[in-house]
Amino acid sequence: MTGKKKTLGQLIARDKYLLLMFLPVFVYYIVFCYLPMAGLTMAFQNFRMGSGFAGVFTGEWVGLRWFTQFFSSVFAKRLIRNTFLLNFYSLIFGFPIPILFAICITQMRQKGVAKVAQVTTYLPYFISTVVVVGMMTNFLSPSSGIINQIIKACGGKPINFMGNPKWFRRLYVISGSWQSFGFNSIIFVAAIMGIDPSLYESMKVDGATRWQQIIHLILPMISNTIILLLIMTLGNLLNVGFEKVYLMYSPAVYETGDVIATYVYRQGIESKNFSYASAVGLFYSAVGFVFVVASNALSRRMTGSSLW
Amino acid sequence: MKKTSILALVLALVMALSCTAYAESVGELPLTTEEGASVSMLAMNSWYSTVDLSDATLLNELQTRANVKIDWNLIDPTIYADTVSPMLASGQDLPDIIQLPDTDNNMTYLSTGMFVKLDEYMDIMPNYKKFLDENPIIKASLTAVDGHIYYVPQTVVTSTYQPVMMYNMPWIEKLGIEAPTTLDAFVEMLRMFRDQDMNGNGDASDEIPMSIQASFLPYMFGPAFGLDLVSGFYADEAGVVHYAAYESENYKKYLTFLNGLYNEGLLEVEFTSLNRDQITERFANDLTGVTYDFSWQMSTLYSAQYPEYDGTKGIIVGAAPLSGEYPGAYIGRTPVSGVFGVNSKSGNIELAVKMLDYIMSEEAQDLYVWGMEGLTYEVVNGEREYLPRCTEDTIWYQGLGINAPNMPSQQSAEATAVLLADWHVQAIADMEAPYAREPFPNIYSTEDEVSIISMYLTDLTTYVDERAVAFICGYASIEDEFDSYIATLQGMQVEELIKVKQAQYDRYAAAMN
Repeated sequence: MTGKKKTLGQLIARDKYLLLMFLPVFVYYIVFCYLPMAGLTMAFQNFRMGSGFAGVFTGEWVGLRWFTQFFSSVFAKRLIRNTFLLNFYSLIFGFPIPILFAICITQMRQKGVAKVAQVTTYLPYFISTVVVVGMMTNFLSPSSGIINQIIKACGGKPINFMGNPKWFRRLYVISGSWQSFGFNSIIFVAAIMGIDPSLYESMKVDGATRWQQIIHLILPMISNTIILLLIMTLGNLLNVGFEKVYLMYSPAVYETGDVIATYVYRQGIESKNFSYASAVGLFYSAVGFVFVVASNALSRRMTGSSLW
Repeated sequence: MKKTSILALVLALVMALSCTAYAESVGELPLTTEEGASVSMLAMNSWYSTVDLSDATLLNELQTRANVKIDWNLIDPTIYADTVSPMLASGQDLPDIIQLPDTDNNMTYLSTGMFVKLDEYMDIMPNYKKFLDENPIIKASLTAVDGHIYYVPQTVVTSTYQPVMMYNMPWIEKLGIEAPTTLDAFVEMLRMFRDQDMNGNGDASDEIPMSIQASFLPYMFGPAFGLDLVSGFYADEAGVVHYAAYESENYKKYLTFLNGLYNEGLLEVEFTSLNRDQITERFANDLTGVTYDFSWQMSTLYSAQYPEYDGTKGIIVGAAPLSGEYPGAYIGRTPVSGVFGVNSKSGNIELAVKMLDYIMSEEAQDLYVWGMEGLTYEVVNGEREYLPRCTEDTIWYQGLGINAPNMPSQQSAEATAVLLADWHVQAIADMEAPYAREPFPNIYSTEDEVSIISMYLTDLTTYVDERAVAFICGYASIEDEFDSYIATLQGMQVEELIKVKQAQYDRYAAAMN
C-alpha cells in the first residue's frame, strides 16, 4: 500500500483479467440493450418496411400520433389493467408462500423429510414454461382432463378452465407460484439458517413455545430479507412473463389475459404496425422505469440498501 | 474523370452484351450457359414437418434444366409470417426471390420499392406474360394501384375443395334419416346423436354430436343467417358492402343460435381449442357424428380412420350446406393464395426474374402436379396414371416436391381429382360445386385506405373475435350486452372501414366490367 492514487492505466493493468471476464457482459448490454434504443424513434415516426435500421434516421416524423391512437383505443384501459392486475395478484399470493414454506421446512424435526420436501418443491422451477402450460392444458381439458373428470365424478358440470376469462388470472397465479415457491424459498431458508442458535436456546430457557419463536425471533430476523426481496419484486411489477401469457391465452380470454406485451407482439410482429407497437412498448417501458426508480428509492429509505 | 468514363464504357459494354445474351435465350433452356449460376430464394418449407424441400427431386430437376441453382432458405410454414416480416422490415441481406408472408393487399411491401416492377421485365418473362393474358381476373387482382405488377402468384382452386359439412353416414343411416339441409333438421339430428348410443358400444353418453374447429363455425352457419363472416366484409347483390359482425339483426340471430347449441351441449365446451388431430382421433374411435373441414379430408383423412373403409363407399361424407332464413352456401376463396417477388436490391435481378418466370411456366407446373415419368407416373394407353407409391408413401411423395408450397404453383381441380376416390369426386360435384359462393375479392388499397385499415382493422377483428366467443359461451349475455357491442364497433370506426371497403369494391367492379 503506497497510499498514492493509481492512474487509470495502472488500474486497468491490475484488473485486466477481471475486466476481460466483464467484457462479454459489457458487449451484451451495448449490443442488445443500448443500441436497439435508437429504434425507439420509430415510436414517433411512420416506419416503412424494408428501411431497416436506417429508417431511424430517414423515417417520416408523426409526433405523438401512435400514442394518441393507443390511448383512444378501447383496449388501452383493459391492457393496462390486465398487466397490472396479473402482476399484482402474483405478488399478493405468490410472495408470502415461499416465506411460510421456508419456516415450515426449517421447523421440521425430521431433517430427511425436510430435504425431500425442499428438493421436490424446487424442481418445478426448472420445467420449461411450454411444458407447464402443456400440462395445464391437458389436466384442465373439459373432456379428458383429470380435474374435470373429478368434477364430473362428483356430479358437477365440466369447466372450460383455459377458455373462460374468469379463470385466466387464477390459473396464471396458481401455476406461477406452484412453479416458483420452492425455489424462492431457498433464500429465506438460508436467512433462517443464519440465525444464531444461541438465540433459540435462550428463548427456550425463557419458556418460549415454537409459535412464539416464529413470531418473535424468526420473522424479525428475516424481515430485512423480506423487505429487500419485496421491493425488488415491486420494481418488476409490470414485467409480466410474456411467454407464459402468450402460451396460455386465446381470443376467448383476451378480456382478462391480454397484456401490453402480447398486444405489442400482435400489433408489431403479426400485423406489421411496427411504429404503433414501438409506441405502446415505449409507454410500457416508461411506466416500468418509474416503478424501478420508485422501489429503489423506497428500498434506500426502508432498508438502507439500494441498487444505486 | 478518366476513371469514371472508363467505368461507364465498361458498364455500357456489359449491358450491351447481356442484352444480346437475353435476346437469344428468351423462353429457352437452359436459362444461362454460365457455370455455377445461382439465385437465392426465401420460401416456405413443406407443411409436413418431417419433409425438407431443400433437396427435393423434382425441384432439383427444374434447377438442372434451367442450369441455375437455387440457394434455399426454407422456413417452417407455421411460423413463416412471424419469421419473415421482421426480415423484410429490416430490408437487409435479403435473397433474390422472396415468397411474401401474405398477399400484400395493403401494399406494405410494394410501396417501399423493395420489389422489382415485373411488368418492366415482361419481355424476358414469356411464360408469365402468357399466364396473365389467360387469367384476366388474377391479372386484375395483381395490378397495384399504381398500375404496375410486382408479384408472381401462387394460386389455388377457389370453388371446390373448400370447407364443407361432413356427416358420419353410418350414424345417419342408423337413425333412418336424410342428411339435414336446414338448421332445424340439423339441430334435431344433433340431439339424437347426443342422446342415443350411436356407435353401439353400450354407452349412450360417449357420443360427441359435433366436432368442429372454432374457425369453421362462420363457414358452417354464417350463410344460413345471410352473413359472410368468412370474408368479414362482403357485398350484397346490389353491390353494397356490409361488415358481417356489425349486421345487428342477423348477427344477433347467429350468436343466439350458437349460444343455444352451446347451452344444450351440442356445441362442446372446448370448441375454441379443438384441433384437427383431436377430431381425427374421435373418428378413429367412432365418437362423433358431424364435422366441418376442407372437403379434401373426407376420404383421405376421416373416412380412412375406419377399418371397414375400402375406398368404394365413403363413411364420413360431405353434404349440402345448411339453410335457414337464407339459402345455404359454401364460401369459396380468392384465387391468389401467395405471392413471390424479386428483390430490387439483388445484384442478380435478370437471372432471378428469368428463373421466377421459368418456375411458374407450364412445364414446371406439370412437374409440380405429375412429377416425372417412371418416378411418380406411367403412361397407360396414352393417359398418365400415378404409380401406387404416390398414395401409399405420403412422406416420400411430398418429399419429391409435389405441389410444392415453396413454388409459384397453380393448383388445379382436375389434377387433385385424379388422386381421390371416385365417390369423393362425385360427392364434390353433387354437394359442393353447386353451392359455391364467391368471397370478397382481394383488392389493393390506396395509401389513404391503408392508413385507415392499419389503424382500425386489427383492433376491430380482435374485439369481434373475443366477443363472439363470450356471447356463444354465455360469458356475456346477448340480451343485455349486444347493443353495447354494436355501439363499441361504431366507436372503433367500423363505418369508416366499411366506406373504405365499399370504395375498393367499386374499383374492383369497375375493373371487371
